[in-house]
Amino acid sequence: MSTPNVSSVATADEATAPRSNPFRSLNFSARFWVALGFVVLVLLLGVAGYFYPTSSSEKVGSLYDPPGNGLLFGTDNFGHDVLAVLMAGTRTSLVIGLVAGIIATTIGVAIGLLAGYVGGWLEELLMGITNVVLAIPSIIVLILISISLPKSTMWSLAVVIGITSWPWTARAVRAQASSVATREHIDVARLSGARLGGILVRDVLPYILSYAVMAFVLQVSGAILAEAALSMLGLGPAGADSLGTQLHWALAFQAVASGAWWAFLPPTIVLTLVSFGFLLLQASLDEVFNPRLRRGKRKQMKQTQARRLAEAQAAAATRPVGGERAGVGAGRARTAHEGGRS
Amino acid sequence: MSTTPSSAPEPTGSATRRRFLAVSSVAAGGVALAACGGGSGGGGGTKDSTLPGIGNNGKIGGGRRGDAADQLFLAGFQFSPPTNFNTFAGAPAWPAANNVAQYVYETLLRFDIVSGELKPGLAADYKVDGTSSVSLTLQDGVTWSDGTALTADDVLYTFQLGKIDPTLTVASFWVEADDITASGDTITVAINQDRKNVDMILQQLAVQFILPKAVFEKVASETGNKLASWETTELLGSGPYTLEKADQTQIILARNEKYWGQKFYGGLPAPTKIIHPIFKSNEDGNLKFQNGELDVMQQFVPQIWKMWESGKPVGTYVKDKPYYVPGSMPMFIFNTTRGALADPAVRRAVAFAIDYASIAETAMSGYSADVQASLIIPGGAEDKWFDGDRAKADGWSFDATKAEKTLTDAGYAKGSDGIYAKDGQRLGPWKLITPQGWTDWNAALEIVAKNLKAIGIDAATNFPQQAQVTTSVANGDFDMCCWYVSGTNPATPWQRFSDVMSNVELAPLGQTAFRNYGRWTNDQVNDLLEAAAAAPDDGSKKQALTALDDMYRQQAPAIPLMYRPDEFFEFNASNWTNFPTQANDYAPPMFRGAGNDWLFKIKKIEA
Repeated sequence: MSTPNVSSVATADEATAPRSNPFRSLNFSARFWVALGFVVLVLLLGVAGYFYPTSSSEKVGSLYDPPGNGLLFGTDNFGHDVLAVLMAGTRTSLVIGLVAGIIATTIGVAIGLLAGYVGGWLEELLMGITNVVLAIPSIIVLILISISLPKSTMWSLAVVIGITSWPWTARAVRAQASSVATREHIDVARLSGARLGGILVRDVLPYILSYAVMAFVLQVSGAILAEAALSMLGLGPAGADSLGTQLHWALAFQAVASGAWWAFLPPTIVLTLVSFGFLLLQASLDEVFNPRLRRGKRKQMKQTQARRLAEAQAAAATRPVGGERAGVGAGRARTAHEGGRS
Repeated sequence: MSTTPSSAPEPTGSATRRRFLAVSSVAAGGVALAACGGGSGGGGGTKDSTLPGIGNNGKIGGGRRGDAADQLFLAGFQFSPPTNFNTFAGAPAWPAANNVAQYVYETLLRFDIVSGELKPGLAADYKVDGTSSVSLTLQDGVTWSDGTALTADDVLYTFQLGKIDPTLTVASFWVEADDITASGDTITVAINQDRKNVDMILQQLAVQFILPKAVFEKVASETGNKLASWETTELLGSGPYTLEKADQTQIILARNEKYWGQKFYGGLPAPTKIIHPIFKSNEDGNLKFQNGELDVMQQFVPQIWKMWESGKPVGTYVKDKPYYVPGSMPMFIFNTTRGALADPAVRRAVAFAIDYASIAETAMSGYSADVQASLIIPGGAEDKWFDGDRAKADGWSFDATKAEKTLTDAGYAKGSDGIYAKDGQRLGPWKLITPQGWTDWNAALEIVAKNLKAIGIDAATNFPQQAQVTTSVANGDFDMCCWYVSGTNPATPWQRFSDVMSNVELAPLGQTAFRNYGRWTNDQVNDLLEAAAAAPDDGSKKQALTALDDMYRQQAPAIPLMYRPDEFFEFNASNWTNFPTQANDYAPPMFRGAGNDWLFKIKKIEA
């Protein structure tokens, strides 16, 4: 996919490097690997809770014991091990993010596909609803729903976040779907008698799948942040630890003023890692899926061009008489370079 | 200061509104316990001193310069812009709210939370005639800040307002009193002979601000006797300060140079102005306090010892743990109309399941002594009524095995889900409620929920907004809640027994109750309460209170979770010294009641 758009002259050594590596051919940039590193780190932290000896609800010390004494991050306001709480909290936050992300993406893609493909009054109606929902600040809706819930668990929280964050996905998907709807293969499918559902899933969805995946990644990170915001206001899951509830208690017990940095810094850093990691992942996936954004390409072009230039110069130097051939080679390389830029 | 000997406990009373404020930052206090002294540290321009009433580390600050040197900066009572100084309004601004401080309005008597005495206020002394009447004599030459005289007429009118508009808090005076009359400077209150509750009368006399008749008569006629609806930004009181200015950021009181009490208190108060800056949160105030920009405050500070350990001249009344004088006990109240919560065995099992020490240590930042199985607060003004041996013998303490044993003895068995049940009645799921943002109570309930789950009771916390919790609790729409009952006052512990157990005018579910929110019923308790209220002497009173306490321990309709101070009293000796402390105990560590005593005695540090 990602082979530079260079014509066939002097292809031998160029092919060996980039094409022999399948990942390279997918064009995963360094930024992708860094992002993946962050996300994996956070995942590992969440999973590590299963193997950590101390439970997150076990009282191991007093109010805000400083780090030391076998406790890497000291204790929180309940006297619990901050590291244990952090692991449990990361897990809860990831689960909430995942569930909310799936719900939001599913709703958004479904509404977007339907509206974009079917068009007409249905599109007007669905997009009307979407625009209305979009116009209401979702954090307010979130707070109102959370307050009115009789009991707040991580699942209810995930659902609430999921059903309030779909609109932008729906709008973006609709735009893509309505463009796909005008393509010829859709007509073919329709003529061959495919039903609406079949067309949507088999003929439209695959074209916007890459976009849906990226939207999902963004939804997950957004949901994790939304959970943190709600929990910090005290609307978090009852009896469960999450990154947000950890920050909530740190705020309530004035960890900042007490100088208990170990109570609020670890969850803040993990939250930052999560959201930064997911955003970066989304951006780098975008590059993979969208040929126009490929970053490696320009660099590869330049390398190729430089190599050719060097070859040409070398050839010119060794065979000063055969100037014609060298000139041709150099000219091709320049053309290719310009083509690549456009 | 006055020395009119009198012994009677003190009022606490209608402190709900300000307690809401105070409580949102709550912590607890307890009796003096372990030692954990003030450390020492350097810095911040503080210097060592041997003066009384200074930081727990023996340090003082360098004093302020300019006008601010003579002003007292105080906080912890007002967290929103002051809009209305009508003492009867829903949420009057500080210091107009009843019983917050005697800076502008004053009361007839002033309660001392340490000694339990009633000190003279506007009244020079008081006499109790058995259980039939209380008579008081007004001080000489009392005037309002506009120069007009404060007379017995003003006093009578103040209490009559409770009849003019029965929705006012002062109306509760007429539950206990039959009549109030005056002859010259002597005022006599005739006690309701059905109730004979002397302490409740004294409590009212100690919390009710005396108001100027001239002003409130006009208000009553203008508002058609709906005094709560009146809005004002002016205050006419008899106290040592007048309201000078109030805006979004601060309330400023200026000294009344012609204060009537100069002879009584031995001069004018030391600060020329009292300034209450308005902070959005405790944390803002605590930071200013730490830096010496506030002199004294009533706010919850977690781990306050860190302040003096880091060298700040910060002090508390009690130098060692628990630092504060205990004055109230947040109660864990069961709704006894809900399923298995009607069973005393279940309630006692819960009492055994709770890790009180954890709550005191973490949720209350160590400001609470060990909680006893009693409705009487050990230590301080109520100590003389407390029977510690009985509380130990048939009370409870944290013991998870005993909790489970109590349940199995009563016939409960664990189901496949790990939760106890009997006859198909499962212990849970129950919700533990308390208002969002009352952080120490939130944390305490989190601990309780974990404790209950650990022994096999299905419970989870839920923290709605304050208004919603207030309604739910009063209407009996809850499983279990953490809520307050009377703090130490002239009428406690009796009033607390009444708050928790009284079956008088028991409100049905769905209607507003003013006491016994858990709707616990018993056919003997009213007689016991009556006997305790009308007890003619201390001996028989203690006997009656012990009988009530015994019944309380058997039935456990509510459980104290911790002790907390009635008011947090903490000072920063960076500009003023001679604050009251245990070693310098000329005044109690409080703002209301007798708490204005120290205002006249603090000393400026010369910069």
